Amino acid sequence: MRKKTALLFMVTILLFITACGNSGSGGSNASGGTDGKTLRIAWWGSDTRHEYTQKIIDMYKEQNPGVNIDIEYASFDDYWKKLAPQAAANQLPDIMQMDVSYISQYAKNGQLEDLTPYLGSKIKVDDVTENVLKTGVIGGVQYGMPTGVNVLGFQYDPAILKKAGINEIPDNWTWDQYKEIALKAKDKGIYFDSSMAADIFFNYFLRTKGQSLYNAEGTALGYEDDALFTEFFGMLAELIKEGAVPSQEKLNQTKGILEESDIVKGTGIGIWQWSNQFVALQRVVNRPMELAPMVGPDMEKGIYMQPSMYWAVAKSSQSKDEAAKFIDFWINNQDANKLIKGERGVPISAAVKKAVAPELSETEKQVFDFVAKMEPISSPMSPPPPVGSAEIIAALTDYVEQINFGQATAAEVAPKFRADANAILSNNQP
Amino acid sequence: MAIRNESLKTNLTGYAFISPFIIGFLAFTLIPMFISLYLSFTSYNLFTSPRWIGLGNFEKMFTNDPKYWNSVRVTIYYVFVGVPLRLAFALFVAMVLNTASRMVGTYRTIYYLPSIIGGSVAVSIMWRNIFSEQGIVNHFLMAFGAAPVNWFGNATAALGMLITLSVWQFGSSMLIFLAGLKNISPEMYEAASVDGASPVRKFLNITLPLLSPVILFNLIMQTISAFMTFVPAYVISKGEGGPLDGTMLYSLYLFRQAFMFNNMGYAAAMAWVMLIFIGILTFVLFKTSKMWVFYESEGGGR
Repeated sequence: MRKKTALLFMVTILLFITACGNSGSGGSNASGGTDGKTLRIAWWGSDTRHEYTQKIIDMYKEQNPGVNIDIEYASFDDYWKKLAPQAAANQLPDIMQMDVSYISQYAKNGQLEDLTPYLGSKIKVDDVTENVLKTGVIGGVQYGMPTGVNVLGFQYDPAILKKAGINEIPDNWTWDQYKEIALKAKDKGIYFDSSMAADIFFNYFLRTKGQSLYNAEGTALGYEDDALFTEFFGMLAELIKEGAVPSQEKLNQTKGILEESDIVKGTGIGIWQWSNQFVALQRVVNRPMELAPMVGPDMEKGIYMQPSMYWAVAKSSQSKDEAAKFIDFWINNQDANKLIKGERGVPISAAVKKAVAPELSETEKQVFDFVAKMEPISSPMSPPPPVGSAEIIAALTDYVEQINFGQATAAEVAPKFRADANAILSNNQP
Repeated sequence: MAIRNESLKTNLTGYAFISPFIIGFLAFTLIPMFISLYLSFTSYNLFTSPRWIGLGNFEKMFTNDPKYWNSVRVTIYYVFVGVPLRLAFALFVAMVLNTASRMVGTYRTIYYLPSIIGGSVAVSIMWRNIFSEQGIVNHFLMAFGAAPVNWFGNATAALGMLITLSVWQFGSSMLIFLAGLKNISPEMYEAASVDGASPVRKFLNITLPLLSPVILFNLIMQTISAFMTFVPAYVISKGEGGPLDGTMLYSLYLFRQAFMFNNMGYAAAMAWVMLIFIGILTFVLFKTSKMWVFYESEGGGR
């Protein structure tokens, strides 16, 4: 009897222990094999991305026998919820996809490996322009390798533009011209756009004035004069009030639902967003579309090549050389990039861009051409958003919503936003 | 000695059998709870080790965070409007179903369905579609000549929609009410009929008092679960609690602090405040229950 009890107890304990052991590696797709090296790679994205990424990993394994690759993937939101605890437990994947808005946090907290020693040796970058490579630099250290680049622009349906009585988007257009055109469209009962994402386009606006949303050290806002805030958000609110842009209520209602946006329904001319979003938008709109550059003056100072995402290597990784080799394969291998087709942004290597060109669809080609046109005139990117930026963006979005609802004026809100943002930033200083 | 050994053995067997629960409870509930209590006095961002800041989190919460108070306001509104509506609706449906009908079993199942699937992500997404710009609710409104409403557009409409969603999940309260109703002896109603009582009078003087223990139970369970509502607000507002923070329920704000802004210490402090608040509220509900809950077993003194 006693023996039985003890046995039962042991079994229970054992079960529990194994259950615990399993949960440690839960979610990963272990592929066995003890010899050779094992890499863990994590990314976020849609099903299409998962599929072609798997194909590329298979391709890599074929060319590098003895390398095992475990994959972990999730949607954007879940990805970061999973990654943070892994960082806390010192168990980050060897290679992980990083976003501009998160990379500072991981870099500043010592989670990422400096890639500088690998550049030129393990990771070939002769074909990459300095401007683009620099986007992965935080505080003077190369923490991320951009997978591809995007650029801001106005994505529109030229036929609806004509219907609104406007022949074309003028070259080098200015904010005044933008307002004038938008109001003209409104007279024909057509919305010009769906307003602009507050943090991204305010940062662009500030850059055209030689400033930026955050200062270079990420310790405070990067502009001194609240009049700039008032000017920019006052203008956006004015366009809403005039009816050239849908009301904030309507914008909230249709937010994130492409099918319900005005451009899809033919009642709006275009959307301000990143170039990599063009392909998906065009597919839903299903009419010929075009890309126009940003509004000036000093558009050249404002636009920059933004990495759609980075590959980064964990500081805790045991196989950094192998990880660097994989990143090199991703960036420079032409066959691999023929599968990617710019889905992670326009490739950063010139040779790869050229090799991929014939494989592209008409829409994808438009994006590549637009980025190629903007790249030589663009300015260096401001440093990636500092730690705490998620909270700041949430606060900014809130304030802008208040302005657009008419509950407050831009001038009233500007100092409040400054106080909030600076408090959040100082809170996040080590 | 032999007896002692024997009883030890029996006890051990017992412990062995409940050990999965004990271990699970310790590892996944009690220990995490104490860790969270510790974290609530620290500043912790998951990356660097927690830094002790004493009551700093609570100080910020109570004196320097308007968004926190907004989330409290939204949650209280949600609970105090939503729970009574849900209970009233559940009681109404229970009374309808309490009438004898051949199909009553089927109806019960059907009306209970929303509760089984209610809190899930899929339903919240469906709800998003129903109330979308071109959703059936707006089509319905337009069919009657009313203007379509931007349900996700302004704060009042969005919170109203959340409350509607919570009322719709009335099934579990309804089942409990139904069981309670079945327990009321038909003789009471018969006697009342003989005395010429109207149906309203019967409801007020027989049904409500005899059902009051069940109402208390439902009230407490539903209030607690309403305070913890998270999934519908998260899905419907796409995790942002908008518009104008109108659907920023307490748990959603807590989640955002924890997992979007990585303020784990602050989020832990928020969770403890919520726990204490719910505890006090439940205590108050129990205390006031003496005034309105009628227990038959105590005799008909009241």
